[in-house]
Formats: sequence, structure tokens, C-alpha cells
Amino acid sequence: MSAPVFITAAAISAELHQAMLEARGLALTAKNARALAVRAGSRTVGFRAITDFIEELASTIIRQSQNINVLAEHLSQQAVNAWRADMASKHFDWVCTQNSRYQNSLTVSINECKAKQLALSIELQKGISLLTDQLEESRKQIRTANLIATSSHVEASSAGEFRRQLEVIADTIRATAGQIGAHLTKANALLSQSNKGRRA
Amino acid sequence: MLATTLYEDGDHRWIMFGRDPKKPQGIIDTNQYLIQSGKHTMLLDPGGIELFAPMLSSVLKFAPADQITHLFASHQDPDIISSLGLWDQALPDAKLYSPWLWEGFIRHFGMERIEYCGIPDEGMTITLGNIQLQFIPAHYLHSSGNFHVWDPKAQILMSGDVGAALEENDAPLWVDSMERHAPKMRKFHQRWMPSNEAKLDWIRRVRGLDINIMAPQHGRLFKPPFVHEFLDWFEALPVGTAIRS
Repeated sequence: MSAPVFITAAAISAELHQAMLEARGLALTAKNARALAVRAGSRTVGFRAITDFIEELASTIIRQSQNINVLAEHLSQQAVNAWRADMASKHFDWVCTQNSRYQNSLTVSINECKAKQLALSIELQKGISLLTDQLEESRKQIRTANLIATSSHVEASSAGEFRRQLEVIADTIRATAGQIGAHLTKANALLSQSNKGRRA
Repeated sequence: MLATTLYEDGDHRWIMFGRDPKKPQGIIDTNQYLIQSGKHTMLLDPGGIELFAPMLSSVLKFAPADQITHLFASHQDPDIISSLGLWDQALPDAKLYSPWLWEGFIRHFGMERIEYCGIPDEGMTITLGNIQLQFIPAHYLHSSGNFHVWDPKAQILMSGDVGAALEENDAPLWVDSMERHAPKMRKFHQRWMPSNEAKLDWIRRVRGLDINIMAPQHGRLFKPPFVHEFLDWFEALPVGTAIRS
């Protein structure tokens, strides 16, 4: 049985929070790389250009993670509202089997509840689809980060005595990108699991 | 859920709900009450979320949803009012009367449509259909903001946790001997009620009422002479005992 959407969305929000913290680390790595490239002078011109990309990439990932976080939290709240409406609806259905004298007086509330359920379900589906798109967008950024890490390695090889330090920076970029990628993969898996559960 | 008519005079009646044999295990048994007058109905301490469906079904045997215009919560506990979020979706036009003190807390149970009417500390009188109901202060018995409901026409006092006993589901409805019933109430009152001063203040107020039925939220109900026997017993009982243990 898959977890309710409000739990999944909260778990996705937690994964994205971790990804955002990793991306902050990436921004710091970019700053270190820039300082090192300045010290290394003309031998690391190519690397200096790359640090700009890394910084931009880090801030993009931070921004996207924050957006996804907000979306996931909103989705979680919507899912709680939907769960409440579902619960009320189930209780009303049960009451309707009990043949109470005035059970027809519930009709208006039942109809309002069903309409609310439907509206929330549509909104939830839209939110999930938006979340899927945003996660995919973030994954594209991670693929870019991996390409940058490879280019950084190439640039580091011509940096003379700074080679080792620049290689460490390139490795850090790759490792951080890997960690962010892992959080995104987990978030994606949670989302598809939840989607399957909703369809089942 | 068992429904018992406590009082009926024309369109004015009191119904008690409780002793639900299908109640989930592990939650304490509660008494819920309905007061009806004309086209208005009030539910007193409508209960926890677990009891919502059987309670709604039972209530709809006596009143249509649009005539359930008033809810009353004596205090903020979950067995009193955690069903609020569901009543909120069932009742199109209702007001909740509850201590002003608890508004921000009770709203955590979920409330979009129902209007919160905070009862001031000194209590108040409202009109329900053709009758008047009084909210009698019962602060610190046991909650720091707490009220009971007095219906002077039916001479019924809904006394919340005062007079309560935690018994089996199939316990009789009425107290038939204070000697046998008192041991079932002693620990509950000594532990849940924190203040002897508050207890004496409440007893002073309640002695001035001509009570025909005292109806607590748990356990058996009291009729004369047991109402006065209870007041004497409660007056002599030291409460707030946990701090001395």
C-alpha cells in the first residue's frame, strides 16, 4: 500500500531540503574554485569560466529546490484537506446505509463534500504533475553539473602546481551533484509510487 | 449507539446517546446529549472523531441536519469535540458555544463553516427555539476554561466531567446507590479535578439549582436523592491529589 499523498509530499519536501543544503555546499565549492583560479592566474582561465557556471548552477538548484519545497508543502496541505473530505464522505456514505429518519437532510452537505473532493483531487493531480516537471528540470541541472565536473578535470590537468587542488574541486562538484541527484531520484521514486497508489 | 429520552414536553426534549457496543476498544465511553426545542437542536459535547459516524446517524433519527443549529463543547478535550472537523462538513448552519479560552486550540480540530461563539468566563444565557439555556461556569473542573449546561425548564444539568465515572459499556444508566457508585468516581474526581476552591465554588452555584437530572459526560446519571448525595460526597472529597502522591 502506498503512503497517503500528504506524507509523500512531506517526504519529497524533506528530500528537496537536503538537496538544497547540498547545493549550498556546491555554491561554496564554486567560491573556493574562483579564489583558487585567481591565484593560479593565466594557467586556469578555462577553469575560472567554469566557476561562473558552477555558481549559477548552484543558485539555480537552490532556487528550484526552494520552489519544489513550497509546492510540495502546498500539495501536502491540499492532500490533508482532500483526506479530510474523503473521510467525511466515507462517514456520510456509512450514515446513509443506516436508514435514519432525517438522513436525506444530509444531501446538501454530501453533495458539497463530493464537489470539494473532486476539486481537491483535480488540484492535487495538477500539483503532482507540476512537481514531476520541476523534479525533471532539476535532474537536467544535475546532468549539467556532471558535464562541468568532467570539463573541470580537463582544465585542472593544465594548471601546473594547482592541478591537485583543482582536481579535488572537480571531484567535489561530481560528488555533490551525485548526492543532489540521489535526493532527486528518491523524490521521483516517492512521487511515482504515490501516483501508482492513486491510480490503483 | 443507545439513544435514551431523558425528558420530553411538547417539542422540547433531551436525548442521551452513549453505551455504543461497537465503540472501538481503547477509547473511553462518553455520553453525548441532544436538546431540542422547536426547529432548533443543540448537541452537547458531541464526542470524538471515532464516534462521529454512529453519533451523526443517531442524531439524524431525531433532527434533520439543517436544524442542528448549535453545538456546545464544555472544554477542549478530544473526547469532547475532536469530531468538530467532520461536523463542520455535515452541518450547513451551526454555531459552536465553547469557553472563549479555548478558541485557538479547538480550531485545530478543523472549522471552516461553523461559527465559534466564545462563552465569557462568567457564563451566559442563550435561546434555543422556545427555551433558555444557561452556561454555568465550572472552571478547573477539570479544564481551566469549562462550562456546564443548565436547562431550567427541564431541570437538567449537563455536568461535564463532574459526576463522571469510567465504567464498562454496559453499565446501567442511572445511579441507584451512592454507596456502591462512589468508589467508581473517587479516583477520577481526585485526579482530574485540580482545585478544592473551584470545587466548592461550583457546589455553591449548583446547590441553588432545582436539579431533576444531573447528566455527566461519562458514566451514570443522577436523579434525586442521588444528586444531593453526590454534592455532599463531592464537597467532602479532597481533590488535586496527584501533587500529594
